[in-house]
Amino acid sequence: MVEKSIGQRVLRKEDVRFITGKGQYTDDINLRGQAFAYFVRSPVARATIGHIDVSDAESAPGVIAVLTGQQLAKDGLGTLPCGWMVLSKDGSEMKQPPHPIMAADSIHYAGEPVAIVVASTYQAARDAAERVVVDYDELDAVVDLATAQDSDQIYPEVPRNTSYEWELGDREATMAAIAGAHHVTRLTLRNNRLIPNAIEPRAAIADFNPSTEELTLYTTSQNPHVVRLVLTAFIQIAPEHKLRVVAPDVGGGFGSKIFIYSEETAVAWASKRLGIPIKWTGERSESFLADAHGRDHLTDAVLAMDEEGHFLGLHVKTRANMGAYLSTFASSVPTYLYGTLLAGQYKTPNIYVEVDAVFTNTAPVDAYRGAGRPEATYLLERIVEIAASEMSLSPAEIRRRNFITDFPYQTPVALEYDIGGYDASLTKALEMADWDGFESRRGEARARGKLRGIGLSCYIEACGIAPSKVVGSLGAGVGLWESGEVRVNPTGSVSVLTGSHSHGQGHETTFAQLVASRLGISVDDVGVIHGDTARLDFGMGTYGSRSLAVGGSALSSAADKIVVKARKIAAHLMQSDEDSVEFDDGVFTVKESNRSKTFQEVAFAAYVPHDYPDDLEPGLAEKAFYDPANFTFPAGAYVCEVEIDPDTGVTRIVKFTAVDDFGEVINPMIVEGQVHGGLAQGIGQALLEQCVYDDSGQLMTGSYMDYCMPRADDLPDFDIAMTVTPCTHNPLGAKGCGEAGAIGSPPAVINAITNAIGIREIDMPATPERVWRAIQQAGGQ
Amino acid sequence: MGKITVNLTVNGRAVSQQCEANTTLVDLLRQGLDLTGTHVGCDTSQCGACTVHLDGRAVKACTVLAAQADGSNVVTIEGIGNRDNLHPMQAAFRQCHGLQCGFCTPGMIMTGIELVNQGQADDDDSIRAGLEGNICRCTGYHNIVRAVATGARAMKE
Amino acid sequence: MELVQRVIIPAPRQAVWQGLNDPAVLKRSLRGCETFEANAAGGFDIVLQLKVGPVKASFRGEVSLTDVVDGESYTLSGSGKGGVAGYAKGSAHVTLSEPEPGRTEMRYRVDASVGGKLAQVGSRLVDGAARKMANDFFGEFIRVICDDDQVEFILETIEE
Ligand code: FES
Ligand code: FES
Repeated sequence: MVEKSIGQRVLRKEDVRFITGKGQYTDDINLRGQAFAYFVRSPVARATIGHIDVSDAESAPGVIAVLTGQQLAKDGLGTLPCGWMVLSKDGSEMKQPPHPIMAADSIHYAGEPVAIVVASTYQAARDAAERVVVDYDELDAVVDLATAQDSDQIYPEVPRNTSYEWELGDREATMAAIAGAHHVTRLTLRNNRLIPNAIEPRAAIADFNPSTEELTLYTTSQNPHVVRLVLTAFIQIAPEHKLRVVAPDVGGGFGSKIFIYSEETAVAWASKRLGIPIKWTGERSESFLADAHGRDHLTDAVLAMDEEGHFLGLHVKTRANMGAYLSTFASSVPTYLYGTLLAGQYKTPNIYVEVDAVFTNTAPVDAYRGAGRPEATYLLERIVEIAASEMSLSPAEIRRRNFITDFPYQTPVALEYDIGGYDASLTKALEMADWDGFESRRGEARARGKLRGIGLSCYIEACGIAPSKVVGSLGAGVGLWESGEVRVNPTGSVSVLTGSHSHGQGHETTFAQLVASRLGISVDDVGVIHGDTARLDFGMGTYGSRSLAVGGSALSSAADKIVVKARKIAAHLMQSDEDSVEFDDGVFTVKESNRSKTFQEVAFAAYVPHDYPDDLEPGLAEKAFYDPANFTFPAGAYVCEVEIDPDTGVTRIVKFTAVDDFGEVINPMIVEGQVHGGLAQGIGQALLEQCVYDDSGQLMTGSYMDYCMPRADDLPDFDIAMTVTPCTHNPLGAKGCGEAGAIGSPPAVINAITNAIGIREIDMPATPERVWRAIQQAGGQ
Repeated sequence: MGKITVNLTVNGRAVSQQCEANTTLVDLLRQGLDLTGTHVGCDTSQCGACTVHLDGRAVKACTVLAAQADGSNVVTIEGIGNRDNLHPMQAAFRQCHGLQCGFCTPGMIMTGIELVNQGQADDDDSIRAGLEGNICRCTGYHNIVRAVATGARAMKE
Repeated sequence: MELVQRVIIPAPRQAVWQGLNDPAVLKRSLRGCETFEANAAGGFDIVLQLKVGPVKASFRGEVSLTDVVDGESYTLSGSGKGGVAGYAKGSAHVTLSEPEPGRTEMRYRVDASVGGKLAQVGSRLVDGAARKMANDFFGEFIRVICDDDQVEFILETIEE
């Protein structure tokens, strides 16, 4: 009976604390004697720093200390590293200007921290921050991605403001395919810059204990072990064994809480220096300024086809805005998470992609939900849509003609897809969306004076990142395995420890279901522990939709090890041999006998080993590290139907259908929730969200009044379903579901809008103004 | 700025708190009373994570001064139900998977109850319109709308 | 923000020019101005209370006069820092002519920009605020130099 929890919509174990207001987020933690920090940030985007006068601030009421970037530099701390080395076409290493924890002599984006004020109350710190006088010698900021490579050079060591010029694929073959093609479709587009906006702002509390010399850092992180590693190895804050990083309940991440930022680092340093616990909680304004942003690509692409619309070659040239510095994983996003995905679901034989990574005087840009894959999918699904209309094929037909159908499939851009079933998801999505009935709905809408359109998108993503050997050979500075531990307690309840981190994904439930069903016990008897470097060995954390496929697989093999050992114990207890003992539904039985022992009895014996095998250690706890054999490849088909009011340009999504193939699913309720959230972010990108800097590098969209977040009345109900091709190389058959919605939806929405208006292109976000103008222009033609 | 004393009822308990005159209600709740279920998600009164009930009406506690709440009756997420005895709206959020990271959730639940009390939870469209002042970045709202509708039915029973 | 305006002032050109160079007149014309004092660098130190939307701050800054063509034109530039509120910068290129005796035509091109929190939270409001500030300043200036609260004039916008 308990076995059945896999695949069930088990209600979440973590919910009770959240719905009763008992969650423990970083800002909810208060330590005895804690002081509060407030950061002084540069109001200008590019400047040299002259004198910093802190005297007035230091003498303000309640102030304990004012520490500047200049002092921090003198203390010999390292700089914030970028953990992925990308090589240029000519083999040279990417250029990585030092990313200071706090600026000491120059400013490279508005909002960059310059000093930290520590005071007895938050208010006092904030008030005193106003009294820090910094002389900025302002320089002309480089802001526009389109012209940045020909603008003023920001760093002396970075000509053309270009960190690297990367390429992947066969240039000559691709160019030849394009030259000889029956038809080519060209497209230039921008992938709009986004600000992640997890609703919990980042926060950190550092607590240095002068007697043990241990430093504890509570922080809003998706990967506390990686934070510890970086703070130790690169920044030398404290030795690894003296540093404990705790990521308690975290209020959403979406990538933005992967990275190692200035603030937690500076707070840790200040706590050590001052010998007191220090707490910093970001204001939303600071999140806008200083969280790593997402996307921001400018791309030119050419797709070549034969007479029947079979794709022959794809050439993509992208400029990616990196912002002012290379953030923790920034360099991998527009390269290995983008260029490698340009095959999509199609057997395009020749693909060549070039990416220039460009610095500007804006906040650093790094992974945001989907990270590179939404950019690849948006480009591909837009150009395929346009190609369909140029070739007079239906959107579904052009895709079907090009679908990969034989697996494993080696793409021309490095990845090997293990399995997929693209036609199945497409067919199901078209059916659920009643694609065939669309024209009559369009006619009915027209009668009401509305423009109705329908759009399709077929995405693929690479998740479950990834074989450590492979990512290592591609420049990653870390391994990308995951660890897990299953500790069976003497009474038979189980503690599961995982290196994955949950900040909304519901691991406490999914992992409990997984382990409970492996051990044949109740989900209620399994507790999941995560997010504390002191409680588990090491872990790589949660991003790239990897937790189940990688972290879950580690737990699965730990659970297997438990069963192996428990079977030995059970055999001994039942005076049988191992091979004759079966384990099913939590009970060990000797084949063809009535002898049996429950899992709980065996657990008890392991800890009270009075009657116990001689050659076995007592105890029942097993660890496993899982390094995946390949990426996983979730894929799906999305259909968006919109209705536009031509008088106002307002677009309403009237129906959104998503069919995803995530492989095997443990908790469909949680998976659907992940899809909903991803869709909302993708639709937000398509219709509402846009980060804007003015010419001088001032952030114009720095609050919820200016940055348009999707709200309940902006979104429709979602129709979602799943098809299943189980992943072939992990024990769960699972692929990952966290990012799909954000990856597949933007092109579906834009394809629907261009379809409604009868135009070729429109930029994201398709705001009412843009849509209205497009309608006017289309009408005028 | 001078200290003031604020007397109010919070979750049925009379409290008297000393605070600065410019202390907001949310700071008083979180810092003064350690009621950390009420969250702060923004600094422009836009996200609704801080929603509480003030004399029976939902307010954004980041925009109300503690002094303004003097003499009032405040109910926070901690005051509507507990682990063993959930408020129907709390239960509905769990039942419908109306939360993921949980950060917006207390505000959503308090607003959800307000919508029911104000008769604005009768259909999905009015629920969506009524949730306009609460931002959730995780759920896409689909299940939150379900949760409020389910909670509304349960509250009427 | 950019704004070009023209106005006819019922006063001789010399009187207008003198006013444009008189710290006391400029101070009176600038609403929220608490200090307007000549400094060693040949410009003026000012303290100004500014409110843009939700952001209110006291700005300390400097005003300088450049490109001076005596009696005809100059550029008045100012910049101020408002602590965590950010900074504001503005300039007005002012040109005078006397189409008929006793009446002066004043043209001015105003540029203004803000940075820091002011830009982040108040950007939607900055254009309007800067325009209003320019209107208030030049209007008040005319009333001060004509020494007449009821004086009639029209600030005619040429470009914005
Ligand atoms: S914190 Fe009150 S509305 Fe955002
Ligand atoms: S559940 Fe995370 S913001 Fe709503």
